[in-house]
Amino acid sequence: MSYRVGGRGRVSDRPVTFTFDGRRIEGRAGDTVASALLANGIHLTGRSFKYHRPRGILTAGSEEPNALLQVRRGPGRAEPNTRATVQEIHPGLETESQNRWPSLRVDALSINDRLSPVFAAGFYYKTFMWPKAFWDRVYEPVIRAAAGLGRAPAEPDPDRYASRYLHTDVLVVGGGPAGLAAARAAALPGVRVTLVDETAEFGGALLSEPGTEVDGRQAWAWLEDELTAVAAMGVRLMSRTTAIGYYHENMIALAERVTDHLEAPHPDLPRERLWRVRAGQVILAQGAHEKPLVFNGNDRPGVMLAGAARTYLNRYGVRPGDRAAVITSHDSAYAAAFDLVGAGTAIAAIIDTRLEPPAELLSAAAERGIPVRVGHTVTGTDGRLRVSAVRTAPVRDGRPSFAVRIPCDCVLMSGGWTPALSLFSHSRGTLLWDAEAETFLPDRSPEACRMVGGARGLWGIGAALADGAEAGAAAVAALGRTSAPSQRAVTGDAPGTGQACRELPTDWPNPRAFVDFQNDVTAKDIRLAVREGMRSIEHVKRYTTSGMATDQGKSSNINALMIAADAIGRSAPEVGLTTFRPPYTPVTFGAIAGHHRDGHFEVTRKTPIDGWAEANGAVFEPVGQWRRAWYVPRAGEDMETAVLRECAAVREAVGMFDASTLGKIEVVGPDAGEFLNRMYTNPWTKLGVGRCRYGLLLGEDGYIRDDGVIGRLAPDLFHVTTTTGGAARVMNTMEDYLQTEWPELKVWLTSTTEQWAVIAVNGPKAREVIAPLVEGLDLSPEAFPHMSVAETTVAGVPARLFRISFTGELGFEINVPARHGRAVWDKVAAAGADHGITPYGTESMHVLRAEKGYIIVGQDTDGTVTPADAGLSWAIGKKKPDFVGKRSLARPDLVAAGRRELVGLLADDKLEEGAQIVLDPSEPMPMTMLGHVTSSYQSAALGRPIALALLADGHSRMGERVHIPMPGATLSAEVTSPVFYDPDGDRLKL
Amino acid sequence: MNELARDLLPAATVITALAPACRFSLRIAPQDGVEAAGPLGFALPERIGARASANSVEALMLGPDEWLILAPEAARERLVSGFEALSAVHSCVDISDREISLSIGGPGVLDLLSVGCPRDLAALPEGEARRTVFDGVSVVLWRDGSESFRLDAWRSFMPHIESLLASAERARAADCNRT
Repeated sequence: MSYRVGGRGRVSDRPVTFTFDGRRIEGRAGDTVASALLANGIHLTGRSFKYHRPRGILTAGSEEPNALLQVRRGPGRAEPNTRATVQEIHPGLETESQNRWPSLRVDALSINDRLSPVFAAGFYYKTFMWPKAFWDRVYEPVIRAAAGLGRAPAEPDPDRYASRYLHTDVLVVGGGPAGLAAARAAALPGVRVTLVDETAEFGGALLSEPGTEVDGRQAWAWLEDELTAVAAMGVRLMSRTTAIGYYHENMIALAERVTDHLEAPHPDLPRERLWRVRAGQVILAQGAHEKPLVFNGNDRPGVMLAGAARTYLNRYGVRPGDRAAVITSHDSAYAAAFDLVGAGTAIAAIIDTRLEPPAELLSAAAERGIPVRVGHTVTGTDGRLRVSAVRTAPVRDGRPSFAVRIPCDCVLMSGGWTPALSLFSHSRGTLLWDAEAETFLPDRSPEACRMVGGARGLWGIGAALADGAEAGAAAVAALGRTSAPSQRAVTGDAPGTGQACRELPTDWPNPRAFVDFQNDVTAKDIRLAVREGMRSIEHVKRYTTSGMATDQGKSSNINALMIAADAIGRSAPEVGLTTFRPPYTPVTFGAIAGHHRDGHFEVTRKTPIDGWAEANGAVFEPVGQWRRAWYVPRAGEDMETAVLRECAAVREAVGMFDASTLGKIEVVGPDAGEFLNRMYTNPWTKLGVGRCRYGLLLGEDGYIRDDGVIGRLAPDLFHVTTTTGGAARVMNTMEDYLQTEWPELKVWLTSTTEQWAVIAVNGPKAREVIAPLVEGLDLSPEAFPHMSVAETTVAGVPARLFRISFTGELGFEINVPARHGRAVWDKVAAAGADHGITPYGTESMHVLRAEKGYIIVGQDTDGTVTPADAGLSWAIGKKKPDFVGKRSLARPDLVAAGRRELVGLLADDKLEEGAQIVLDPSEPMPMTMLGHVTSSYQSAALGRPIALALLADGHSRMGERVHIPMPGATLSAEVTSPVFYDPDGDRLKL
Repeated sequence: MNELARDLLPAATVITALAPACRFSLRIAPQDGVEAAGPLGFALPERIGARASANSVEALMLGPDEWLILAPEAARERLVSGFEALSAVHSCVDISDREISLSIGGPGVLDLLSVGCPRDLAALPEGEARRTVFDGVSVVLWRDGSESFRLDAWRSFMPHIESLLASAERARAADCNRT
């Protein structure tokens, strides 16, 4: 049977078919899943979180706690817990109810509802105490399997997501009458105004109240003209856009749903877009949420909020049923009842908890033949998968007397309205208790923020329009502009009042009166929490989980507070309201990640020579943000074979390596040498022009932070190199010292990391390879010895040529302007072809340097290693008055015995990096750990595995045997010098 | 986005890589800055973000003692020797190869750049420039006209920036044509 009402609503006549639990459902273009289901007479949409109780559609908005569905829009496009009240229908949409097995109508775990006395608040804290081991293996898995809602999708999400920044002078959140009026008033020439609304259409309450007239025009006609007008005034209108968070300095996050409502969106469109908005002034016009009444059986499918029923009728043209019972403590439910009577739904009764509702409402009800029962309670509802009756009784002395049963197929309830305070609360705005309205209202915000309309407790469209216009004018006044807010005449408006309630009295022995529908928290649970000692609302919340579901208790927090305050015997403001936190409504991970996935997940920096490596089949590894060639396998080679071949080539002939990622800093100025004296441990004053020196950089704590070779190109010009990963950090540290400690030094730092492409040529034949390419420089060992640097020309390009080595072989590093890097690389490769030049990657570089005992900062050091620990005391300028870290090197703990020192380890097997070292493998566990392996490789040159390690008192343990316990076996190794190859360095001097 | 607003959305943004140019990072004490007018042929701008230029040589003030000098290759030798001859202590470092520049222009340029740049670029006056970030990468954005920008970034970051701009531009164009 169809509950579509002809001539009502704003949906089009175009039918749209989708599926619900495999069944084809026909709705109309413009429907939400909820309105389309209701149009087909379907209220039952899912099973509840804990008790698996049948649940239906409670609201017509994003605050929905019940109607949460699994939604699919094709392969990979699955989403759990989608609110049926938000999701718009389109052809091809598949929806499914959740938390039921084998079916929605017959659910095995509905047994939980019978066991509800066991599952009261805090039950698992009390029940699953012992045996202790059962928690991990039995209790938690079973509880997790039994509770919960949707299933997380298992496939990768094929959709794209995006994000943008937006600057606006005035941001208005909420496109109802207050927000619209605010935007209109703020829209002056030159003032950027943005109006956002979370639904598909602007208009808010106007969409649900078509009987209203504004300035003599029917509400919808007026709305259409008004939207055209504000758009023409340049207001940026963003629909399907939810303000999800309010952060410092008027930074608001907006989540825009771009394609979820489309059948076949353009493939380039993002599914969602996160907007980071910096707003000069913010106007929050998010209206109010209707409160459910808390009564026994208030969660049966068919029970919905009165305001929601009014929205379904007027906005979507759908009746909730044929015969409704209305239960209310607020005037607004009467308007819903009157609208429904006019659309053909019989109103069985209006049950008003108040003793004296306004007389004009009573007479209006009488005119329509609607019986009203004042001063009544609802003691319970009947029905299993759909409500079939309510039981109501007059209240005498707080207790229900004789109850009557009123058959119905739907129940509309209203407990009044709560201002939407979430975003205001994110902004750290303070709240004030309004004793008369029995609600919290916004008080002060530290941000440039105004609350308007229903969001600050004003009721009625006329009041909202006036308040919005005033706030819009005030917002532009704060920007130094003047606007005259327009006055609107509103007729047909129905502002109302009401009374806040606790749970309604009942005579049932075990009432199930739900406060938090999504987390299955009842009034009894709240009172139990108070009985068990919870006094703060924050404790009640955590004990009962009330308000902790994804709806953040939009419909439940105030009810929970009223009941808790009553149980504690204190006033509501004394008990307090829990804090709202972003996001306002659930947000997808995709929206938060934006474009940061796949290739855009993180910046990938590439060197000028990266193209060669890619074309030649190099395997890459990430180093910081860089990708570097790890090894360059030939056809059929695995990593180990390739690395052994590359290393052997360097030791026996010559290899080439892309070292462009090394950090480089140009240090220029008359005080350049003095500056380096203060930064590095080494002395720089006497370093001659054209010479290089290894530099060691410490932190103030005396621990090694970075290292690199520094060349002097002129008395006032040094070319500093740093580690790849440390480049930015070293530059920042140096700038920090220069600007804050030594501003008197005449020296400037410029990062030249990317100015230069660097090609390292290493091996006994290195000189033969590059000599033909170098112009005007004598490369002989006498003229250009180890640790030299010169400005010259290489392959026709101006270059800085270093004779340095990180392999222990004769080595050159050719620095050329980056745009020439690839061309020079190719020329070096061609020049070396006859010498068997072999390109090698970072892995071979690591092996070759380890054979020489050269450390890698961050691998062989961990931020607690001093120069002495690393065997680098020789790099400390003993005569220098000071350098960064000098004083710490004298600290008692840095000179005490027992420090972990860098040593070599020789074992029969390749050790595992990170493996712990012990002296006595038969010691009972936990053993005394003396250090760990920092680097470990198979050495081609030595024909055996080698390792570096940090070992307690390692320097005095040469020749000792240590043990490395591993799963299945304990390995043993001999402690040696970390210099395994060419200890005298003869090969560097070739 | 709402139908009414969609008509206001601009279209087509063109992104092109610019040919290499001659770039220097000039560091000099502000009180000595007047001396730079010699080699440059014009006075250094004195407000951060401000630019000055003559004969195709441009200077942009980036910090209290920091300027970026852009020049055609033909002017390189003259500038290098001119700064070498300066009597005031300073640092003039060749960074021509450190950076790559893109030209980004068209009616949608502000929307496109808002994908990665948190600044309010509509408020950046034409003829000025700012050091800022784009998707976390340090960049210099030059506003040459109301719809015409240049973006400088270190060369290794350019593949990321270009690829992000390209995919963002496709999304922006699809957005404009949304039905």
